[in-house]
Amino acid sequence: MRLSDLLEAEVVDRNGDRIGHVHDVRLVQDGPPLGTWGAALRLEGLVVGRGSIGTRLGITRPQMKGPWILKLLFARQRSSRVLVPWDRVRDVGQDRITADCVAAEGHDAFATDDPTPRP
Amino acid sequence: MNEHPAGRRLYAALQLLDRQILDADAMMAGKVDDLEFEQPSDGDPYVSTILSGLGALGPRLGGRLGRWLTAVHRRLHPDPEPGPARISFGVVKRVNNHVELTLRRDELENNELEAWAREHVIAHVPGAGHAPE
Amino acid sequence: MKKLLGVTLGILTAVGGFLDIGDIVTASVTGARFRMSLAWAVLLGVIGIVIFAEMAGRVATVSHRPVFDLVRERVGARLGLANLLASYFINFLTLAAEVAGVSLALQLASDVNYLLWIPLVTFLVWIVIWRVKFETMEQVFGLAGLALIVMAVALWQLHPDWSSLWHSASHPEVTSGEGAPTYFYFGIALFGATMTPYEVFFFSSGAVEEHWQRSDLILNRANVYLGFPLGGALTLSLMAISAVVFAPMNITVEHLSQAALPTVVAVGKIGLALILIGFFAATFSAALETALSSGYTISQYFGWQWGKLVRPKEAARFHVVVLVSLIGAALLALTAIDPVKLTEYTVVLAAAALPLTYFPILVVANDPDFMGDKVNSRLSNALATGYMGILVVVSVATIPLMIATKGGA
Repeated sequence: MRLSDLLEAEVVDRNGDRIGHVHDVRLVQDGPPLGTWGAALRLEGLVVGRGSIGTRLGITRPQMKGPWILKLLFARQRSSRVLVPWDRVRDVGQDRITADCVAAEGHDAFATDDPTPRP
Repeated sequence: MNEHPAGRRLYAALQLLDRQILDADAMMAGKVDDLEFEQPSDGDPYVSTILSGLGALGPRLGGRLGRWLTAVHRRLHPDPEPGPARISFGVVKRVNNHVELTLRRDELENNELEAWAREHVIAHVPGAGHAPE
Repeated sequence: MKKLLGVTLGILTAVGGFLDIGDIVTASVTGARFRMSLAWAVLLGVIGIVIFAEMAGRVATVSHRPVFDLVRERVGARLGLANLLASYFINFLTLAAEVAGVSLALQLASDVNYLLWIPLVTFLVWIVIWRVKFETMEQVFGLAGLALIVMAVALWQLHPDWSSLWHSASHPEVTSGEGAPTYFYFGIALFGATMTPYEVFFFSSGAVEEHWQRSDLILNRANVYLGFPLGGALTLSLMAISAVVFAPMNITVEHLSQAALPTVVAVGKIGLALILIGFFAATFSAALETALSSGYTISQYFGWQWGKLVRPKEAARFHVVVLVSLIGAALLALTAIDPVKLTEYTVVLAAAALPLTYFPILVVANDPDFMGDKVNSRLSNALATGYMGILVVVSVATIPLMIATKGGA
């Protein structure tokens, strides 16, 4: 399974209702040890939302400082994002992923953001 | 699954995908064009391999353009049915602005086009080995 | 003292390197046709390039990543590829125009037809890229470009009616006999010629090539804040001398020789020599920059090793792209396509593509993960976002205007 198989795939719930599209995939470094890297990056969950441009540009991340007008424009997108934990994912099809949760569930995907080290 | 998983969190599309890869000598060695997950029999999938080069970008982009890129990759590759160039995640040293590896460029699978360009064009031009003045 | 010398050198290089065939052609054409009433377009362009070049230089210095590398990362592989194709195509056309420009400058000096000069010029551009150090390249041609100061001297020598020139510049209006669409079409052309994208690709890649550190940020700012406006002043000088010499007689500028004429009229033989040196230096340095930019854009999208900072055989794909692009551009120029018309179309297309280039820079300049504490200030964000609005308006208006005016006829 490749990352590109997951990204932009449509996510539907057990009733067939659309939850959104996969914007990103959250990984956590607690998998089995790999070479000199250390613990592998385990797939924790799918970041699912409507629309996609804002997330891709990274404007919707909390630590982005501006420009405020863009943050404003993409604010709605940010609030509509949810994290679907991987253990709720039932099926990964050609362009559609079925998850075992109702469309209204989920919490802000970037709530526990770990920023990467600063230059 | 762990209630409170320890360890660093990364967002694959935002922080890994399309990032510059640097080799052990800090030379540029392609981009992270895709990632491959390993599905263990018990437990969640984890990132096992970086896929890089035209052979990875083509399938990812899809459509006619993607197919054309894949065809170019196949043409330039000595094998008849080459898959995408793979870099095991185990050789990644660090991920920050770039993805830094512990291997050198010429030890990687995605170096085919560079080697071809060097041997067939650049090597024939005088001064190719000179450091810039 | 040495630092001051370095700063001065940088500024002078920026001034001399500011103009290229696009600026030369559009400034002369619009000066002859609209007098100074499109001066605002140059001003707008200079402010824009100052804002974004400072930003791109800061981003490159702090993150050690040049522009095109970031484009893909920020907008994704698919949009990034579309961006690459558009940017490369416009860059390619610009390269052909610059090579033709150098050849035309040599034709003016030698009476040998410009088409015959093209192969030699192409070879010279390539060999300078292949062997000459980055810094040397920039400084030699940047300083030689200062010969264009003769255009400001020419303006003085022509004893123009200054109040009339000022009135034309400060009260922009569509000149009688021209339509509003044509007026704005040429405004866009001037704007595009001033805010050229290749400048940013080159500038930010250069910052990485020359290993700029944070301590060089002040240098960056000096070059940009002082050098570019002075370069803009030279552009306005050219517009003014064309206005003074050609506008009264309703002459349209269609050849590079006409762009040189006002200076020759005003300053004589020395003027001719200096303006030819200036045109040669301006177009040759632009040819170097656009040729390198062809390599930068493609290499940075795919993640290949690029640049003059390594031996050519360590960046084989980059050098092959530069070589192939140069040969292709030379072939295009050799089709005897009208260089002035080619230049006009290219700057207009460049204006249409500006949002593609500048938007990712703006986003990255706001990202603390890349920039640390050097993220954009509120002021630069306000200015830059305002400009993005202008760039989008310009971009949307370009093709309809091009069609409506039949390419500025």
